[in-house]
Amino acid sequence: MRAIDPLNPTGLVLNIQHFCTHDGPGMRTTVFLKGCSLRCKWCSNPESIHLKPELAYDSKKCIGKKQCGYCLKPPFAEGAFYVPNGLDDKVHVNWDLANDCSPDCAAMCPTGAIYVFGQEMTVDQVLDEVEQDSSFYRESDGGITLSGGECLLQPDFAAALLKGAHERGINTAIETACNVPWRFVEQVLPHVDTMLHDHKLTDPVHHKKWTGVDNSKVLENFKKAYETFPNTKFIARTPLIPGVNDDESHIRAVLAFIKPYKNVINYELLPYHRFGESKYSYLGRVYEMEDFKSPSEESLAHLRAIIDEQFGRGGAQ
Amino acid sequence: MSKTTRIAINHSGGYLPGLNSVLSGVARAATSLGWEVVGIHDGFDGLLFPERYPDGGIATIDSGELEALAAGGTPLLGSGTHSDPFRVRTINSENQVEEMDRSDDLLRKISDLGIRAVISVVGLRPLSVLFRLHRKGLNSVCVPASVENDVAATDLSFGFNTTLSASVNLLDSARNAAQSSRKFGVVEVLGEHTGWLALQSAIAVGAEAVLLPEIPYDIRKIAAKLSEKLKSGQSYGLVIVSEGAQPLAKAQAATAVAQQSLRASLSPLATGAQGGHVIHRSGEAAESVALELQRLTNHQTYPLVFGQLVKGGAPSAVDRQLGMGYGAAAVRAIAEKQDGVMVSFHPPDLKFVPLSEAINKVRTVPPNSLFLQTARSLGICLGD
Repeated sequence: MRAIDPLNPTGLVLNIQHFCTHDGPGMRTTVFLKGCSLRCKWCSNPESIHLKPELAYDSKKCIGKKQCGYCLKPPFAEGAFYVPNGLDDKVHVNWDLANDCSPDCAAMCPTGAIYVFGQEMTVDQVLDEVEQDSSFYRESDGGITLSGGECLLQPDFAAALLKGAHERGINTAIETACNVPWRFVEQVLPHVDTMLHDHKLTDPVHHKKWTGVDNSKVLENFKKAYETFPNTKFIARTPLIPGVNDDESHIRAVLAFIKPYKNVINYELLPYHRFGESKYSYLGRVYEMEDFKSPSEESLAHLRAIIDEQFGRGGAQ
Repeated sequence: MSKTTRIAINHSGGYLPGLNSVLSGVARAATSLGWEVVGIHDGFDGLLFPERYPDGGIATIDSGELEALAAGGTPLLGSGTHSDPFRVRTINSENQVEEMDRSDDLLRKISDLGIRAVISVVGLRPLSVLFRLHRKGLNSVCVPASVENDVAATDLSFGFNTTLSASVNLLDSARNAAQSSRKFGVVEVLGEHTGWLALQSAIAVGAEAVLLPEIPYDIRKIAAKLSEKLKSGQSYGLVIVSEGAQPLAKAQAATAVAQQSLRASLSPLATGAQGGHVIHRSGEAAESVALELQRLTNHQTYPLVFGQLVKGGAPSAVDRQLGMGYGAAAVRAIAEKQDGVMVSFHPPDLKFVPLSEAINKVRTVPPNSLFLQTARSLGICLGD
């Protein structure tokens, strides 16, 4: 666990993405926090998984061994970076050995080809950047969205950030899978206008197989959140992965779960796309990713029609 | 009173036919020295998670066990495909998944069990994990194993010859199928970085063309070759494609066009096209080549993917000998107090090379390879 000063919390921020349209109402600025408590086999943000800064490598910025070659010598770990025989002059990374390099090593790379995923930032640093987009929020009823990783894994920072956003008149949303202790949820949710939350799989055994843990805590947290925060808007979501959770029974089970709660205002399906692949290569974790396909239009339309029917929207899309 | 020397053997990597041959080689050579051999289940998982195994994660390989080790039988030890003691996935008391470095714990257990050295049968990737463990103090000797023969610093990895034999058998059937249906069969075989399996299979079955990761191909040249066959009255043929083969245009584009910015690739809305790195999926190469050839030749083609199929079956005579030889040589390495080495086969010798010479290299098909020359002499089109 990272040591945090509760009076002036800092957070490990992965990225701040401007002008997002799929992370809550209106035009939004999404702040990606680092660290996740699940290991979904379809994860599209692998760089957000670990709650610590990590080395990354962007080969297009490398100027090669002849002109540089700093990473081929200490303090970089032996064999972590190398130039393969007979290929180009560019440096390659052995990710199993690069784990032995300190993130501080990145500063030695003069071109920034070796860099670090994850930056420690203060609340004001983040909010000052977020506020640059404030004119767009007013036009579109948008605001700030905390995403990840799992943004609730940094509860002190997330709560301070969202509280600060409210003080600056910015609407707040979070994207979460909620596999965290309830005290984290309870600490952050008072400062959240909209919570987008993932119902990944209904069956606890399947949930464990595909995400690493069962969903007992997740479902318990969802129920408590719906009941404890009646004025917060909740939007349920399912990242739709063919062969994993694209069955009607899962969709109907989620609908049954959320039906009693009027503050769950929508249920959205997010069709899986293979957009995480390039990032796996930046981190050298290609071997961890399973081979999934995107759902078909027909399957998506069919499942969305079931949801529309429950929400009284009528007619398939 | 002298204490019996105890050594361990494990396997980190994908499934390999005939793995028991290596185990048998180790056991016989060690027994003849009066040593004791134990097997660690599933890479290092047997030591890291002993509670998961009825025998506590360690299989004692005694003389009775040795007799039961049929070369083609069920592997006595499982394989730890993703077994990495530096990143062991666990669930903490808060139900959160996290990775823990348990390498110290592992080394302590090896020491507590009185294991003097570990012989690891490993492929390309686990080799780096082993090197890292060796750097932390593990006395290790490794045996190269790869169905693609892509491990550097050795001429022949254990498992390749059996896979080649299995591929050739299946290709014979594929050729019969192509002949009876009068189509061009485009068969994808294993080989992400290297084309040894495709190249040697193509020579063995007399394929019309073979596409390797090492030689970017021009699809029009393969189509021209097949069109020639059609004109001469042969309405069928085989094109063998390594899963990592790339068309010339794509290979040039990958080096010429800068990748999209990291920022763009971090967007949750980013699409596959925004990432510069393309991961080849099983079947993708065969599908795209078959489709293009059908367009260009105006003759029906069909893609076929061998994938993992070729990893099954009985081990070949070559692999059985090689496994026994590798196993015996690994024991000899320990007896000679070698540490941090890989057994390397350079016919007719079995030698020892430092692990550092084997990591970060892939054994690719060199431009002056005798196999390439043979393929060209046989009129097999390489698409270049």
